[in-house]
Amino acid sequence: MTGKGKSRWADSAEDAALEAQLKKEKEEKKRLKAEKARKAEAEKKKREAEAAAAQRQHQQQQTGDDDHVNGPPAKRRRLSPDRDAAPPQAAPTTASSNDSSKLLRFEGGRFGKCRSVENYDKLNDIEEGAYGWVARAREIETGKVVALKRLKIDPKDRSGLPVTGLREIQILKDCSHRNIVQLKEVVVSDDTSKIENIFIVLEFLEHDLKSILEDMPEPFLASEVKTLLLQLCSGIAYLHSHYILHRDLKTSNLLLNNRGQLKIADFGMARYVPDPPPPKLTQLVVTLWYRAPELLLGAARYGPEIDMWSVGCIFGELLTREPLLQGKNEVDELTKIFELCGLPTDESWPGFRRLPNARSLRLPSSSTKPAPQTTTTTLIRAKFPLLTTAGVSLLSSLLSLNPSKRPTASDMLEHEYFRQDPKPKQEAMFPTFPSKAGQEKRRRRETPNAPQRGQKADGSMGQVDFSSLVGGIFGAGREREERGGGFSLRMV
Amino acid sequence: MSHMINPLATPEQLYQRRSFSALPTELQDAIFFSTQCLTQAAGLLLQLPQSVTAQANVLLARYWLIEPMVSHEFSDISAASVYLTAKLSPYPRSPRDLALVYNYLLSPSSTFFQPSVSASDDSPPPPPPPPTNIPNDYYLPEHVYNSFQTRLLHCESRILYALSFDTHVSLPHPLAITYLQALDFLNTSKSTISKRTLAYLNTALLSPQMLYLTSQPNALAVAAIYNAAKDVGAKMPECEWWEVFDVDREELGFLVVGMRSVEGWGRKMREDVERMKAESESGKRGGMITRRDIEGELRRRGLSVGNGYGGNTGVGSEEVVDMEADMARRMDEKMAEIEGSAS
Repeated sequence: MTGKGKSRWADSAEDAALEAQLKKEKEEKKRLKAEKARKAEAEKKKREAEAAAAQRQHQQQQTGDDDHVNGPPAKRRRLSPDRDAAPPQAAPTTASSNDSSKLLRFEGGRFGKCRSVENYDKLNDIEEGAYGWVARAREIETGKVVALKRLKIDPKDRSGLPVTGLREIQILKDCSHRNIVQLKEVVVSDDTSKIENIFIVLEFLEHDLKSILEDMPEPFLASEVKTLLLQLCSGIAYLHSHYILHRDLKTSNLLLNNRGQLKIADFGMARYVPDPPPPKLTQLVVTLWYRAPELLLGAARYGPEIDMWSVGCIFGELLTREPLLQGKNEVDELTKIFELCGLPTDESWPGFRRLPNARSLRLPSSSTKPAPQTTTTTLIRAKFPLLTTAGVSLLSSLLSLNPSKRPTASDMLEHEYFRQDPKPKQEAMFPTFPSKAGQEKRRRRETPNAPQRGQKADGSMGQVDFSSLVGGIFGAGREREERGGGFSLRMV
Repeated sequence: MSHMINPLATPEQLYQRRSFSALPTELQDAIFFSTQCLTQAAGLLLQLPQSVTAQANVLLARYWLIEPMVSHEFSDISAASVYLTAKLSPYPRSPRDLALVYNYLLSPSSTFFQPSVSASDDSPPPPPPPPTNIPNDYYLPEHVYNSFQTRLLHCESRILYALSFDTHVSLPHPLAITYLQALDFLNTSKSTISKRTLAYLNTALLSPQMLYLTSQPNALAVAAIYNAAKDVGAKMPECEWWEVFDVDREELGFLVVGMRSVEGWGRKMREDVERMKAESESGKRGGMITRRDIEGELRRRGLSVGNGYGGNTGVGSEEVVDMEADMARRMDEKMAEIEGSAS
């Protein structure tokens, strides 16, 4: 593009020809217009619109021809004829205003004060958790049912409104995707002299995946698991492509409506993370059972891979209805992970020994280890005998100890697993469930909560000895690995 | 798409601003200009990237279209907008950082808005004599810090409330660079024209015309490039190239004039502020204009200073609260003065 300077913008012979043609056209149009002027007012308007449309089409055609002659244009072509060339008396007609090029107009909305929470009628409480209070409510004006989530504010906190809550609002306002819960507005209580009661108004969904899994007598069908995973994954792909890490993916944060639509909720831990990630992020993220091994080992630099680990855990949970890795504490969680996925080695995860907490691990010397990749796969196969080979390969790649081996969300959408039979079930064909959120106060969950700000990010885990694990896991794994991808009568 | 667009002010909001308070327009402009300058100065001292400080400028401008300017001390609102944007950015700053920086900027020891010697002519003013640095001026006693923090947090939630918690700001700076690349930097020195373009964009933040609230980033970027190209004598395409970036001629013309006028306008407003400071009894304090200066100026002009000076604001109950806050603030200041002289 360099070096052309003036010539790039200067009129070429083709341009001149085009101009002449357009001029001719304009005259033709003027003649037509003179005819039209005699007709009735109402008809005139309609015809002008038609003429304008026709002309636009014509112009498009022409630019198409033009492209053909010149090869691909360097930039967007101007579609408008040169105004100077048009005779001045033509200017005031409506048709000539249609001639001017079409500019994109951006609608950014407006800004203004919060509305009052009194615009909503509370129906029932949904949940009261560590993060605050959620209720079902109805907007008085429209009758629409929404979820009201109260932002938890610690009045003793001298740093003002919690940054997590503000981030949640900011991120949800920026997001627009069918698999991400929609933020409608933020409202405050009537007394605005002090802003203490802040409520986030979210779209209401009947269920969360956690309670469905707890209550269903039979696990989801393979086709249903695929639908849920696909939706989860396309939501996450959207987030990651917008540089957002969720950092607290778990089944209780995935909502489901009665039309089989899954939406990711609770962005209290989420934040924008540039690529490459900044050097220091808090490790106190993600509920323990869904927390990736690099976080447990104290990595301060992490990226979207931690969400993909959680997706792996959710995948496992969808298959068995039980959380996959229910550690009692960080050490126990890491033990459970190594039991399921095998121990990390320098080949399978180069550099893991440099992570802050890895120093306290005592791993067996490298000579006794089996080949790592087959190990994870075989261990996973043993744990999920009914899963197909493609399913096992997806799950074991999601649960790779080495973050760089995990697929990205957009990779995952293309995975073989979703193309194989049984095909993902259509959302509309999804079974429905009685809604707890809609009717009754929900009991408190036994899932541990996501770590809270201010909690100690204690690096030291004490001395942890994993050498004893080796015999046990691998023994067990070997024993069962023959069974392979199984067979199930209920695979629809 | 959201990273390219901003919510804009409605015509009603722009109109309302003029009738919001009893403040004459030029006083509003002077307050706007000096507070935005203060915000920029604080951003520099806090070592925040310009992307963060510029967002604070935009949020502050939006806030003042919703709530009357005099409802809080100008420097407090400035501090709160910086605090809030930094908190949401990757570069958070603590309330104490802000207290220290603002305390310094408002002290007579800082160079901020100190009267320059020759405010006349267009000869570049000689560098003003560095103000005598008296560390006592900006010593921050604990009670002053505490009351600052309380006001800071109050203003923070006030801003969020007024803006419906929408803190989204898209800046035109990255777009401008992309556009310059698309234009091949108009065959001039890349750094010269880029710097000039960004300078126009940054200056536009200070404009009382509130260009960032009336135009989308693409239009601001194109206007800044146009101005920069004129300044450095670069040859622009002979066609209506701005249409490629979805800007029409009328908007471009408006923005070009708007951006060019900020410099002269700013100089005049600076003189106004300096005059007001000199005339007001608190002239010995720092260079930043305060509500008390505005009060004094109104009195000199023979305009009545009503309660909260919002003769016809009609915000009702909120004003009462503001008066209380005002009283508390004055008591704080008195206490600070007494203790300052005692020590």
